[in-house]
Amino acid sequence: MGRKLIRHPLYVLTMTAFVFFVVTPLIYTLAKTFFVEDSFINNVRLLDKELFFLLAKSIILASVIALFSTITGTGLALLLYKTNIRFRSFFKIALLLPLFIPPYILAVAWKDAFFVFFNDTSLISSYFGVILVLTTVFTPLSMLITGSALSNIDSQLEDACLLISDYRSLIFKIILPLIRPAIITSFVLVFLFSISEFSVPAFLGVNVFTTEIFTQFSAFYNHSLAMLQSTLLILICILLLFSEKRYIADAPFLSMGSKGAGNSCYDMKKGKILGLLFLPGWFSLSVLVPFTTLFVQSFADGTTRFIQAFELLVPAFVTSIGLAFAGAVLIVLTGFSAAYYQSHSRQGKVINFLLLIMFAIPSTVYGISLIQFYNHPVFRFIYSSYAILLIGYTGKFSFIAAKLTGNAIKQIPNSFDEAAQIAGISSSMRKRKILIPLIMQSLFAAFVISFIFSLGELGTSIMLYPPGTEMMPVKVFTIMANAPQSLVSAMTMIVLSITLLIITAFYFMMKPFTKKYRYALHKT
Amino acid sequence: MPYIKLNNIQHSYKEKTVFQDLILGFQANQISCLLGDSGCGKTTLLRLIAGLEIPQAGEIIIGNKTVTQNHSILVPPHRRNTGFIFQDLALWPHFTVYKNIAFGLEARKEKHIKDTVFEALHTFGLQEFAEKYPHQLSGGQKQLVALARSMVLKPEILLMDEPLSGLDVKRKRKIIDLIKNLKQSRFSGNDLTIIYVTHDHREAFAIADNIVVLADGKVQEAGSVEQIKNAKNEYVKYFLEY
Repeated sequence: MGRKLIRHPLYVLTMTAFVFFVVTPLIYTLAKTFFVEDSFINNVRLLDKELFFLLAKSIILASVIALFSTITGTGLALLLYKTNIRFRSFFKIALLLPLFIPPYILAVAWKDAFFVFFNDTSLISSYFGVILVLTTVFTPLSMLITGSALSNIDSQLEDACLLISDYRSLIFKIILPLIRPAIITSFVLVFLFSISEFSVPAFLGVNVFTTEIFTQFSAFYNHSLAMLQSTLLILICILLLFSEKRYIADAPFLSMGSKGAGNSCYDMKKGKILGLLFLPGWFSLSVLVPFTTLFVQSFADGTTRFIQAFELLVPAFVTSIGLAFAGAVLIVLTGFSAAYYQSHSRQGKVINFLLLIMFAIPSTVYGISLIQFYNHPVFRFIYSSYAILLIGYTGKFSFIAAKLTGNAIKQIPNSFDEAAQIAGISSSMRKRKILIPLIMQSLFAAFVISFIFSLGELGTSIMLYPPGTEMMPVKVFTIMANAPQSLVSAMTMIVLSITLLIITAFYFMMKPFTKKYRYALHKT
Repeated sequence: MPYIKLNNIQHSYKEKTVFQDLILGFQANQISCLLGDSGCGKTTLLRLIAGLEIPQAGEIIIGNKTVTQNHSILVPPHRRNTGFIFQDLALWPHFTVYKNIAFGLEARKEKHIKDTVFEALHTFGLQEFAEKYPHQLSGGQKQLVALARSMVLKPEILLMDEPLSGLDVKRKRKIIDLIKNLKQSRFSGNDLTIIYVTHDHREAFAIADNIVVLADGKVQEAGSVEQIKNAKNEYVKYFLEY
């Protein structure tokens, strides 16, 4: 296999570039913290009791969010994937919306909601607020993971249970134990994302470990402490990933067009009304209420604020969209190369795990690593240009692209390639004519998701944006401290509208695309 | 003198040994059936002959040419002039029937591709399906497309891995007749050696000139249909009972 890869220098080159530009800065930061930057013992003294208390609070906070999101997400998934409840097709898509909206938009929206309904934002600007907002953000992720597992359960296993027992046993004795890996994956991933999340606590003014690192680095210029705190958080993330890597690294939830064989749906009897209330209830809580109040608040002071907000954001439009586009291209290239590498080489698993680590590490922490590594005369051309942001995005989101394309590659039987090989079709032509068309939908989906995530990424952008650069999330964040709430709401509303517009545009672009490659998903 | 010779083949997957010093030969221009239970190494043998897998030791000779020797491929799969009908048929789902057949010819930069493909479509009774996609075809039609796709490249060896599994008796019969007449097709140039893998002895008796019964990676019995039917080997007798 190794010999085969040499014939594909593009993959080797991409992976080498990924390891050098993306992973090395992280290793450099860790090494510097432990061995170079003063002595490790001296540095450890910087970690006081208060800091550990803050870390403990952040861990508890992340655990609560992970627990609530997993319970709610599993409940929603059971309703949507295992019952024939009405409007489930609509809710399957509508409930995913918060996942594709930058989390800070929801934070601003909920702040508006509390202002409109209670004329007081102190409750939302607390740990409660962070839990509320992040639970609504991450519940769709949990729903996606458990939903995918539910639709892959062989219906015969369920039928065998129903012949001897009731629906209650079916859920608690068969279905839930069978999707346990997905539930664990959901909990661990949501925990990691919550403990890594910077934008929501920052927007709500709540001090957690990631905001503390940002403050130490950017406000107090205490780089040693910030690096030490970052190292602590990196180690927690890596340890957690190591313990659950069996489930998470191979999680099949990020895939398109894979459906389980013979998935059964059940008629809801007693719980029908409860289910019918739960779905629109959660939809209202996670989508309708926050976005409606954000809309109302944006126009609270008439159109003046809206125009002002628009003028403030205009310089950031082109940069943000351009960077997100370039980032998405790089991410898809890296993700595809990693997925291909993984399917053709044993070392691919290492790359997959590296991608996962980069994905799980807090963006502020990763930002510090990149600054530490590239802030040298040799790398000044990277440090002072957009390249550092693109490296940041590639490190953060390549895991998603790799999973989406990797799962698509896995679905293609080897015989498709072998049949072409025997017919004398060259390796590069096999990639162009067989492999890529067959995974085109997944590549496109990976591009869209990477674009949207890069566009809304605050943690990486705020740490890395070069001087003089205007970026949408950074602009909203920096203006928030001194501007009236209605201006912040108007700016957020504009960012939300742009994001939704782009999602809609991609949706319509994807339609003919899907039509063209629809045969690719049919098994012969 | 066998046309395809496998000398002292050793092959294993991780800890499972598939073949240990296997010696086997296949005569030219005959239909040879590899018969045996699931997991006995039938498919692996086809893949070794095709060059899709490399044995840990031993050599494979096709004609007078050594194609595999001592854990290295001397002749790559596409230079062995073989056709392969995979168990799942491996029809490319995003290509039409026409494109599935034409793709190999295009890669070889053949002349008159359109005429050749239409002739193949006519030979295999697929004219009306040229613009259809594989998922729009029945099981029997898919088998015919797979056959046409292989035959259009005029292979000297056709390797068939349980190609009729999942078909009803009537369609099986039709395709067996077609396979038996493949040698007369213009695409074979009267020179076609077929190795056909199956676990169904009735299918093997219907199609084969010679049969090789495999069990646990070892040849239990080899010979003509009549010789196999009258074999004394206990395993073969047991196998043919069902």
